[in-house]
Amino acid sequence: MLGLLWTNIDYAASVGLFCIGLYCVITKNNLIKKFIGLNIMESAIFAFVVALGVVDGGDAPIMGAGARPPFTNPIPQALILTGIVVAVSTTALALSLIIRIYRQCGTIEADELREME
Amino acid sequence: MSFSALLVGIIVVPLVGALLTPIVAGRNGNAAGPWSFGVMSLTSVIALLLLMHVVEVGPFSAYLGGWEPPYGIELRFDEFSASVSVICLLGTLAILFSFKYAAKELPAGRLRYYYTLLLLNLTGMLGFAVTGDLFNLFVFMEILSLSGYALVAVSGKPTAEMAAFKYLIMGAVSSLLVLFGIGLLYSLTGSLNMLDISRRLAGAPKAPAMLALAALAVGFLVKAGIFPVHIWLPDAHAIAPSPVSAMLSGLVVKIGLLGMVRVYQMYYGARVLDLSAFNTVLVWLGAIAIVMGAFFAIFQEDIKMMLAYSTISNVGYIVMGLGLASEYALIGAAVHIFNHAIIKAALFLGAGALIYQTGYRNLTDLRGVGRSMPLTTAAISVGAVSIVGIPPTAGFLCKWYIALGAFEAGQPFFGVVLVFGALFIFVYYIRMVNAFYFQEPVHPEILDATEPPMSMLVPVLVLAALCLVMGVLGRIPLTFIEPAVERLLAPLGG
Repeated sequence: MLGLLWTNIDYAASVGLFCIGLYCVITKNNLIKKFIGLNIMESAIFAFVVALGVVDGGDAPIMGAGARPPFTNPIPQALILTGIVVAVSTTALALSLIIRIYRQCGTIEADELREME
Repeated sequence: MSFSALLVGIIVVPLVGALLTPIVAGRNGNAAGPWSFGVMSLTSVIALLLLMHVVEVGPFSAYLGGWEPPYGIELRFDEFSASVSVICLLGTLAILFSFKYAAKELPAGRLRYYYTLLLLNLTGMLGFAVTGDLFNLFVFMEILSLSGYALVAVSGKPTAEMAAFKYLIMGAVSSLLVLFGIGLLYSLTGSLNMLDISRRLAGAPKAPAMLALAALAVGFLVKAGIFPVHIWLPDAHAIAPSPVSAMLSGLVVKIGLLGMVRVYQMYYGARVLDLSAFNTVLVWLGAIAIVMGAFFAIFQEDIKMMLAYSTISNVGYIVMGLGLASEYALIGAAVHIFNHAIIKAALFLGAGALIYQTGYRNLTDLRGVGRSMPLTTAAISVGAVSIVGIPPTAGFLCKWYIALGAFEAGQPFFGVVLVFGALFIFVYYIRMVNAFYFQEPVHPEILDATEPPMSMLVPVLVLAALCLVMGVLGRIPLTFIEPAVERLLAPLGG
């Protein structure tokens, strides 16, 4: 059991990170902290998918002189690059929303905002 | 012109149109509305041509850059992709409705961005409906989600921004789950093409395949606003400007359900996995959503809030239909995706017209409005009758089919839940109709209200007329979707 966990330590770490992020999103009161939790979850998923494509001792799959297999699978990396772009846009949108909420309500604590409603 | 080019065009035209909107809009943004209306009209023509082609020859594909799948990216137009027709229809009408509405409700200077976001949102939905590639599905889902969050906040009121933030958090978590499921499926099958995945899934280990199914399903169901994870939905749909509410409620939640259909296509295609436990969960989720959505809706005073809760209950119908997984239930669910979009858009746009003309949004304040705005209230009443599912309106046939499907699947209990839910829905819509026509006005000035301008009245009336027409011609979408459902359920080798 422990051996299995050790060989899959990368996946286990992603799951751990994901849970930490989810905990922040659910329990934190401050909107920015909530959002940082979401970013942690994003990183966990990105790390997980990239780890799926890793080959032990694999090289970057760049063709040319000196290219020798095995190669790492480039497709997960390409997917996650797109995923990161999406995450950046989400972050930008969320932070601008938080700024506007702060300017109009004077607070970014979720419970105080709920009272104002 | 070849159909592959048209299939690419249905994504490229609104996308390029969206990017050009701020440039075309002019200094005060007045040209943005007519421009985006033109873009959507062109897209609707393309959608119509594609629809005619799929009726003629069945599903067809386009390969981007000439690379064949599984290496290249495939756009695939099948019977479920026919939802592009309703996306284009609602998009065009919502833009038409926005001409006057947005100019009054939105701060000056935001107009051009409002139309840009609307077009981007529509691009995301159209792309989602026609893509055959799992990762593209994710990208289009993010395009429509991000523009959706921004559209909720576009009015700039603090409540709207808070609703948008709540929507964003829930939406982003669900997107992550979808991405996780996609990553898992890729590692199991080595492919991102949905048809290819369904062929290769048979050889994959079962436990991770079920984990991927669960992640995708939860992700899509959060987007669809199913009951326990619906909390973002009422605020976001009620506070957004009315044309946006119509799009969010009519179309964006349906994208989550369309995602579920795609997942089903992959997993049923594989034939080796036992989905019965999963289906049971879906049926129960749907049944609970029907009852709880209707229950909350009864206590709403705000007309748009009530409509938002009614969406939760109708999403329940569709999820229940998917979970019953018998032929009739699936046909009913697929057609209800289409019909509910039309009905809910008619209701939200009608409510928007009432709010625009009178300035009130509570049912008590709106009492007696039926006397001064007969056309708008008549349209809303037609929508209300359809959503309850009284024949011969659009809502009847799909609910009837889902109920038949419940009996066909040997689970008559859920047929009873369905009828019970319809009764609940009847109660709160009768409250609305009662307030419009039969109660004395609280505010006497409401009797002086006039019908909205033509650009708002026409979309409402067209949608209300469609509620009736789809009821009478209801067999057409039913027979159209039937081969797709049969193919979905056919035994291996079929």
